[in-house]
Amino acid sequence: MPVAASAIYFLNLRGDVLINRLYRDDVGGNMVDAFRVHIMQTKELGTCPVRQIGGCSFFYMRVSNVYIVIVVSSNANVACAFKFVVEAVSLFKSYFGGAFDEDAIRNNFVLIYELLDEIMDFGYPQNLSPEILKLYITQEGVRSPFSSKASDKPVPNATLQVTGAVGWRREGLVYKKNEVFLDIVESVNLLMSSKGSVLRCDVTGKVLMKCFLSGMPDLKLGLNDKIGLEKESQLKSRPTKSGKTIELDDVTFHQCVNLTRFNSEKTVSFVPPDGEFELMKYRITEGVNLPFRVLPTIKELGRTRMEVNVKVKSVFGAKMFALGVVVKIPVPKQTAKTSFQVTSGRAKYNPSIDCLVWKIKKFPGQTEPTLSAEIELISTMTEKKSWTRPPIQMEFQVPMFTASGLRVRFLKVWEKSGYNTVEWVRYITKAGSYEIRC
Amino acid sequence: MALSGMRGLSVFISDVRNCQNKELERLRVDKELGNIRTRFKNEKGLTPYEKKKYVWKMLYIYMLGYDVDFGHMEAVSLISAPKYPEKQVGYIVTSSLLNENHDFLRLAINTVRNDIIGRNETFQCLALTLVGNIGGREFAESLAPDVQKLLISSSCRPLVRKKAALCLLRLYRKNPDVVNVDGWSDRMAQLLDERDMGVLTSSMSLFVALVSNNHEAYWSCLPKCVKVLERLARNQDVPQEYTYYGIPSPWLQVKTMRALQYFPTVEDPNTRRSLFEVLQRVLMGTDVVKNVNKNNASHAVLFEALALVMHLDAEKEMMSQCVALLGKFIAVREPNIRYLGLENMTRMLMVADVQDIIKRHQAQIITSLKDPDISIRRRALDLLYGMCDVSNAKDIVEELLQYLSTADFAMREELSLKAAILAEKFAPDLSWYVDVILQLIDKAGDFVSDDIWFRVVQFVTNNEDLQPYAAMKAREYLDKPAIHETMVKVSAYILGEYSHLLARRPGCSPKEIFSIIHEKLPTVSTSTIPILLSTYAKILMHTQPPDQDLQSQIWTIFSKYESCIDAEIQQRAVEYHALSMKGAALMDILAEMPKFPERQSSLIKKAEDSEADTAEQSAIKLRAQQQSSNALVVTDQRPANGTPPVSQLGLVKVPIMSNEKIIHGQDQSTGEQVVAHTNGALTIMDPQPPSTPSPDLLGDLLGPLAIEGNTGIAPQSDPNMGSGFEGGTNADALAIAPVEEQTNTVQPIGNIAERFQALCLKDSGVLYEDPYIQIGIKAEWRVHHGQLVLFLGNKNIAPLNSVQALILPPSHLKMELSLVPETIPPRAQVQCPLEVINLQPSRDVAVLDFSYKFGTHMVNVKLRLPAVLNKFFQPITVTAEEFFPQWRSLSGPPLKLQEVVRGVRPMLLAEMVALFNSLRLMVCPGLDPNANNLVASTTFYSESTRAMLCLIRIETDPADRTQLRMTVASGDPTLTYELKEFIKEQLVYIPVPSRSAAPMPPQVRPTSPPNAVLDPGALLAGLL
Repeated sequence: MPVAASAIYFLNLRGDVLINRLYRDDVGGNMVDAFRVHIMQTKELGTCPVRQIGGCSFFYMRVSNVYIVIVVSSNANVACAFKFVVEAVSLFKSYFGGAFDEDAIRNNFVLIYELLDEIMDFGYPQNLSPEILKLYITQEGVRSPFSSKASDKPVPNATLQVTGAVGWRREGLVYKKNEVFLDIVESVNLLMSSKGSVLRCDVTGKVLMKCFLSGMPDLKLGLNDKIGLEKESQLKSRPTKSGKTIELDDVTFHQCVNLTRFNSEKTVSFVPPDGEFELMKYRITEGVNLPFRVLPTIKELGRTRMEVNVKVKSVFGAKMFALGVVVKIPVPKQTAKTSFQVTSGRAKYNPSIDCLVWKIKKFPGQTEPTLSAEIELISTMTEKKSWTRPPIQMEFQVPMFTASGLRVRFLKVWEKSGYNTVEWVRYITKAGSYEIRC
Repeated sequence: MALSGMRGLSVFISDVRNCQNKELERLRVDKELGNIRTRFKNEKGLTPYEKKKYVWKMLYIYMLGYDVDFGHMEAVSLISAPKYPEKQVGYIVTSSLLNENHDFLRLAINTVRNDIIGRNETFQCLALTLVGNIGGREFAESLAPDVQKLLISSSCRPLVRKKAALCLLRLYRKNPDVVNVDGWSDRMAQLLDERDMGVLTSSMSLFVALVSNNHEAYWSCLPKCVKVLERLARNQDVPQEYTYYGIPSPWLQVKTMRALQYFPTVEDPNTRRSLFEVLQRVLMGTDVVKNVNKNNASHAVLFEALALVMHLDAEKEMMSQCVALLGKFIAVREPNIRYLGLENMTRMLMVADVQDIIKRHQAQIITSLKDPDISIRRRALDLLYGMCDVSNAKDIVEELLQYLSTADFAMREELSLKAAILAEKFAPDLSWYVDVILQLIDKAGDFVSDDIWFRVVQFVTNNEDLQPYAAMKAREYLDKPAIHETMVKVSAYILGEYSHLLARRPGCSPKEIFSIIHEKLPTVSTSTIPILLSTYAKILMHTQPPDQDLQSQIWTIFSKYESCIDAEIQQRAVEYHALSMKGAALMDILAEMPKFPERQSSLIKKAEDSEADTAEQSAIKLRAQQQSSNALVVTDQRPANGTPPVSQLGLVKVPIMSNEKIIHGQDQSTGEQVVAHTNGALTIMDPQPPSTPSPDLLGDLLGPLAIEGNTGIAPQSDPNMGSGFEGGTNADALAIAPVEEQTNTVQPIGNIAERFQALCLKDSGVLYEDPYIQIGIKAEWRVHHGQLVLFLGNKNIAPLNSVQALILPPSHLKMELSLVPETIPPRAQVQCPLEVINLQPSRDVAVLDFSYKFGTHMVNVKLRLPAVLNKFFQPITVTAEEFFPQWRSLSGPPLKLQEVVRGVRPMLLAEMVALFNSLRLMVCPGLDPNANNLVASTTFYSESTRAMLCLIRIETDPADRTQLRMTVASGDPTLTYELKEFIKEQLVYIPVPSRSAAPMPPQVRPTSPPNAVLDPGALLAGLL
């Protein structure tokens, strides 16, 4: 396996090093200065996540107000490095209780050092699973072995965990109430031309699970995806149901899923880890149900006035509703005065992002609220700069709706003791980059 | 400032300052800009106070580096506000946000003018400051009179007037016409009488600008300036606030002295005397003190005074005072002052008389050479180099040599080069020079460029007295255990040439010399081995009687290197081996190297090149400007040094290398001594030829040594040559003045004109022949380049002496003739390559001015060289599809020319086709439907036109063969015209190629040239 990192740095937005860890001695400790000078302080920040300066490669990404920079000097696996960073961030989040930002780092120096020691060794990524790490790296005080009170918890057997057949699950779990939560979260990416034709559209979805199950349960998940249904009908020699089937692209599973069974029987069966995890990820490029249609008309009336009319139409079921809908309509930089008329929600002009921001908290299906705005522009010295008309952006969340049409057909739980389980299933669709040119 | 009243502004500023990072700051600024835009849009509701507040915010944002591209209108409109706070904001923001090219400023002109002509002084000041900072041409046009009025008005306070002076300066710089020269000289004089220092300082700035443009008009102000200086120097009437560390207004002093430097001289004796008094006072009064600020101020004044002293060419006494002062400076501990001292001393060298005085500080300067600060060391080196002359050369060079071993690596190369140049220029005797250079090589071999040792070799070769000494020295150095490779080269070369002169001394037998040189062979690189091989060959040659043992030893070495991988070594080994087998004949072949021709020292040239990028005031440059350096004249002294120039080298007639002198020499030799005549193009010359400037000698040095037949065919390197000849117009015109034929004693064999005509059609043949010499020519033409070789063959059993060939190229040809040997041995032929580059189309012909001496007679011929128009043609066949579009696109004159030619020598169509083809005009049959017509095409090459397609159409009349109609077309008007004329010449006068090749009896002489254009004299005159 190639090296993923020679060093990792966490910087704040000003470029100060919050915390760093050198894993190999092939990069100097001051390489981060090069990053600060040649990347952070230039306009190229954010244009390309991989840069080479002076024989070293810098991979960086920004998470909230922290830059995470990986420095390598050899031929490294970039994808591995980025995956490592993403996993590390989610690990930190699960330790810090959700937030990962400058303050969280400042408050948890010791913990982060401990974790950084654990999750990577000499540049090679190690176990990043929060469930397992939390067993050994705790934030509680260490009990002295000479203390009089015997520990009520058994000392976890690390080797078994790491090397065992079911490395991701501990034995002997007992829950009073056996529950499974399953969420299908999809985000829609769209780029639509001003004439309404779809230029790019895809859905990336993930199946998230939260298990509170006793013992070593075996789970089986059935979705209305094409391959699974076909295989099933083959096995049961039954004609395929006429209902809609979904073709999933690029499916990736959590390590707990039994891939041999998936390959032979096309069923998703697995022994789940305890707690929360991401069961699978997928992508869909065809047959996407767009939740919203946007019909913008933007007229420039002379040099100093503009008229903006935006109609947003929700095309999901009338009983459903979208939450947190935000429509960002870009306006020229020299916008001076705005006046709005909206049929629902609220609109205002935000000069720091040069957008009209229209917010609708609750957006029922099959409705079409409109916004009409008059914009006055101030005259400027440089008239030549024509406005480039960036696309309108949208944010939203639609619960109980999947843009792909994916549905859970069944979720079976089987365990030796044969207890009853309660299964909860949720669907939610969010906006990814939902852009409409105008 | 009334910021306390503006809460919003201070809140905004503290918000921005509290931003954690750039991004947050940008967000805050964008938000504020949005806010300001909204506010500005509601113009009605904006009170002046609010407007002021937002404009301040805008300025703050602008100063943070963000684009503010709106709101200028508001800022400009504030200028016209009635109250001071708003007006002030308006002026400040306008002058920082806008520049002179903004259109918005036009809106402000009127308001600004109102403020200027208004009565309120504060407003006047604001307005003048604005104009002084960003005023442009338009301001200059509309405001200049008002500003002038303010400046000279007596009722204004000084505060306003000094601003007005600076404002006028700005306007003057933008538009010099605003100050009327006639009227202003008087007013300026009045202004310089001003008592107020502030106004005076500003006016002096204006005055410097005015004088720098036109000093003539302001003569009357000169005494006033001196008065100002006097006043300052005596510290009379200088208020306390204009005294800076006890120095009365140093700024005004410096400016005044700067202004005085724009006047060529100070003529009035009284003024001059008082000026010198002032300068004297400055020189006397300046010293180095503890306080840095005081030092800075007083030294600024002092250096300006020094510049003025130099400018005015003051008396020697004052100069010596200056130098003494600088001497004090360079003795100071403080490096900055020492640097300035050295630098100014170097500058002082420009002034003639001070050399001797500077010499007194030599020891101090040499100490500075060891300063820890490299910039000071460099200055010191420059100064030493500049101040060196015959009297102190020995000391300085010795000092430099001593310093060389401890000097910085960065400086060593420059140091060694300078030492070498000084040694060459000011050598009191030549053995010293040789000593110095050998020492130099010994001490800093790595930093001694090849040029330096080439130079020594040239000296030694050209001075017989020096040879034994040099050989002995070289021998001594070879005894040292580890010597630098350059030293091996020098020693080997010198010993090879001159070791026989030492033969009687102990330890200098050929055998011993050989063995000591051969010891070094394993340690040297491939570039040195060829030199060693030559040395062996020479030693072998000098060993008389031959020593069998040594011979076999050397032959073994030669045969060993015969298979060397390096081509140069291999060739030498093979050749020397073969030559040395010849025994006695070796003597002739490996004769001593001839004397080197004189030329500008390549060292000095190199020094000049390397200096180009360093300090402007570099001593080398100054030196180069002051004296035209004559190469090899060792004691090249300037008259300033008091001693008359003595040529210690004892070299014969130093040929003059500087550009003007070439022309001059040419003038003399050709103008006075040449007796020429035109028709036969033969000239008898006074037997004293001008010496030929010769090519690069490094080339000959490195080439195989002294093998006869190597006539030094090396590319001509002197770029001055061409221009020199072109410059010598008068001389050439004189040289071809016709003289009677009776002066001819040598008759050419064959008709020169016919030979030329034949060569126009062929590429090789005989160009000229007479009883003594035959000149053949062979040419190769590729696009616009031509390579000619002249074969000079001596037909006699006696050598031809003083052979000289000069090319007089027409303006469209660039020709470079390589070296022509002065002597052509009996029955020998020498080859002289000649490079030709065609620059543009023209029918003019180059002329070879060839002369030689046979017995006591000087023979001079002028021969046309067959580098004619058609040599640059490349025949090309075009098809009908290519021809007709081209033909049509070139429509009408000047690109397409048509002419009816009469008096054509009658010939058949087939003959004409043959003629055209021999002229490299490709006849394309079948393009013209009429069988009596000819269509030809060719490509012409020259540097200006590149490849150019030419198309020719000839319409003949079968009934009357003496006339035809010719149409010529090409993409270049000159080319079309020249080509048309050229073909016409060819058709009207047809050469007979078959006859011209055969030698003609001498008495057959061309009666008269058939065409005026072909007359060589006219031709020459035409091309000049």
